[in-house]
Amino acid sequence: MFDKSKIGQSFPPFTIEVERGKIRELALAIGDDNPIYQSREAAQAAGYPDVPLYPTSPTTFTFWGNTKMVMQLVSLGINVMRILHGEEEYEYLAPIYPGDTLTGVMTLVDGKSRQGQGGSSMDILTTEIRYTNQHGQPVLNARQVIIVRE
Amino acid sequence: MTTNAQALTKLYYEDVQVGDAIPKLVKSPVSHLQLVRYAGASGDFNPLHTDPKIGEMIGIGGIIAHGMLIMGFVGQLLSDYVGPTALRKFHVRFKGMTRIDEEITCTGTITEKYEADGEGRIAGKVQAADQNGDVKVAGTFVAALPRRG
Repeated sequence: MFDKSKIGQSFPPFTIEVERGKIRELALAIGDDNPIYQSREAAQAAGYPDVPLYPTSPTTFTFWGNTKMVMQLVSLGINVMRILHGEEEYEYLAPIYPGDTLTGVMTLVDGKSRQGQGGSSMDILTTEIRYTNQHGQPVLNARQVIIVRE
Repeated sequence: MTTNAQALTKLYYEDVQVGDAIPKLVKSPVSHLQLVRYAGASGDFNPLHTDPKIGEMIGIGGIIAHGMLIMGFVGQLLSDYVGPTALRKFHVRFKGMTRIDEEITCTGTITEKYEADGEGRIAGKVQAADQNGDVKVAGTFVAALPRRG
């Protein structure tokens, strides 16, 4: 069971530079060959200043940017081998383009434990990462619900 | 590869009505290679998604796709429909596991049209389901659309 006293706790900030190649790689892995995600030239031809973010690019900011995420989850008292992904949510607050440097701060915003049959328990945790850009402007909020079955 | 023809036509606020269906997106069957590639692209190297031995060990029988890959498919549906910079909010719940060779179809419907922060916005619900209709991901989105004239 997770440590309820940690609800509301934030972790030290991490930074991630938004990279064109990372956006292209994600789009191609998803199987989306829309040229606007492939090159700046194609994006500009379609009227964008540069390659735009893929809708799910924020997941790459978390995995590649927050390299201490696993340790942070462990510090909340949960077994990271038992995590299921329950929900994912993005709020896109302002444009983000390659070359931007984002700073993310993860907070445990909510958590509850439920007792199941046979004495098993389940933790449901909500984390939120608020990202600001190099100008200090809020640009993105990413919320995640994880389920930990004990 | 799958891309919607809709991708090249610009969508305007006036064109969308509540109840409209979003042009559906049928993806190629999920392959093991795609999961390896997605692991590298996303940075999620949980072996559950790439190493069949792990799946056997923890009793789920083989590998399962990253839930975020399926959210990515729905992201493609929305990118094709409203364009890449129109999204204001995108939320999904993960409802079921996706396995190799499953063919995912993404669909959606417009549920609301309103003004906020000086923008014309649409809201809708979206989902991804396999060839048997089993829902893997269900969610909602909000997008801002340009106006004509």
